[in-house]
Amino acid sequence: MKSSKPSAQVRKRSDVFVKRPATRIWQEVPSADNPYIAAQSLCHGYDMIELMQKRSFVDVLYLLFRGELPSVDEAKLLETLMIGFINPGPRHPATRAAMNAGVGKTDPALILPIALTTLSGTYNAAGTLEASMRFLRKQQRQNAAEVAARLVEENERPEQGDWHIAPGFGSYYNGIDLLSAEIAKHLRGLPAAGSVLHWGQQFTQALNKEGMGWLATGVVAAVLTNLGFQPRAAAGIYQIMSAPGLLAHGSELSNKPITAMPFIDDEDYFIEND
Amino acid sequence: MINDTSFWDQHRGKIVSKKGGWKIGQGVLSHGYSMMDDFVGKTSYMQVVFLNATGRLPERRLADWMDAIFICLSWPDPRIWCNQVGALGGTTQTTVIAATCAGILATDARSYGVRPLLEGLRFIQQALSDYHSGKSVEEIVMAANRVRKGTPEIMGYARPIAKGDERIPAMERVTESLGFEIGDHLSLAYSIEQYLSNTYDETMNINGYMSGFLSDQGITPEECYRIFSVLVASGVTACYVDTRDTAPNSFLPMQCEDIDYQGNPYRPVSD
Repeated sequence: MKSSKPSAQVRKRSDVFVKRPATRIWQEVPSADNPYIAAQSLCHGYDMIELMQKRSFVDVLYLLFRGELPSVDEAKLLETLMIGFINPGPRHPATRAAMNAGVGKTDPALILPIALTTLSGTYNAAGTLEASMRFLRKQQRQNAAEVAARLVEENERPEQGDWHIAPGFGSYYNGIDLLSAEIAKHLRGLPAAGSVLHWGQQFTQALNKEGMGWLATGVVAAVLTNLGFQPRAAAGIYQIMSAPGLLAHGSELSNKPITAMPFIDDEDYFIEND
Repeated sequence: MINDTSFWDQHRGKIVSKKGGWKIGQGVLSHGYSMMDDFVGKTSYMQVVFLNATGRLPERRLADWMDAIFICLSWPDPRIWCNQVGALGGTTQTTVIAATCAGILATDARSYGVRPLLEGLRFIQQALSDYHSGKSVEEIVMAANRVRKGTPEIMGYARPIAKGDERIPAMERVTESLGFEIGDHLSLAYSIEQYLSNTYDETMNINGYMSGFLSDQGITPEECYRIFSVLVASGVTACYVDTRDTAPNSFLPMQCEDIDYQGNPYRPVSD
């Protein structure tokens, strides 16, 4: 029996969909003989071969997302950031996902997607970048020490684990993430370091007495905000930065026996409702 | 206390599971049940899916309802966004697992797929609370945060491409045949649909139906998101298989001019 409810009557909407996807990023100029083969590729108007000859990888990465080539100082800031965070390190859950995939002999082409998917999380991972950039954009005109004091007062330290007082900022194993602080310090000394990085420094200085400071995600968010990247792209940029390290660790394990990674012993595996 | 690492020290080198595990030589446990003795051949797969996602073993008929909704929510049509990801995987000759996982990932989306169930259940559960507090259906609808083209945008009502939803009458038959009553959430969902239909010519979609029905079963938004995380898997696989078993790179091939380039014209790269 046919239902009389409104949802039972299915009618096509009159939405108008584009016939061709549009892009402002990339132009492929067809060859004269074959419309499927590109004779030339332009990135925001710049010929790819010319870019190869005259520009660095970081220049073109910046160009892809910002639409213009960076200045020498901007490129230096981005490249230095990318070196600083090229590897989340072998203890990061995303790297361990890569290592597990590697040692399990997962299809090598899938090691990186597995690791990057794990890195999509919102805890010390790419998923917090957008929120961190929005936090920095919103707060950067406020007094950093006052913002820190207000957040400490308004929020409660969690009973367990770390205290992330704002996206990209907080404690790291109940202490200060020394390497992220050191990387931020180095970046602040570069000519293109802007007001957001400096605001972050004042903010973390005020947090230090609470045992909190820069987290890796906060440093990346500050630089990307300085350089004018869009918050929605930030998670992916962070993933791109981390990808070399993730893949290297996964590949390192891919030629080793399955015993090359720990398998927790039965006596260290506790089932609470057993 | 700063630099107190005792929390992590307690967890280092060991796993404490609230779910279960393999006791080598003894058996496999899930939530206190022996999987081989209590489940295999005795419960449905969907019951175990529900158990693993929520910690509760549901009655069989709810698992059977889930079985039906899994059919409703995944079709072999590669025009659907997640399915197209599967088809593109096939034409690039990825593995079936890669393509299916990529398609599932695509449904972690704001505009369609599985993640909107979070918002759908939150809406109807809040709406029922408001309704019991004295708000009218009209007030509930008009409190929607977003308005698009003059119509309140509420998760679970209206859908892309079409108005109406053929999956709802199909699921209504299943709901009835399994002996489920229409509860307060679903009843309110129908009232909202009627108001939207009369006022804006919009209807409930399958998200709205699922949200109402599952809320009546005591399921939280987060539990629903977890239960149905791989909802679209089989349709994505179907679309993958369709293109994987034909000539590579033949799914919707594009000429250079099939992209509408709107960026800068050629400009030289300075030294």
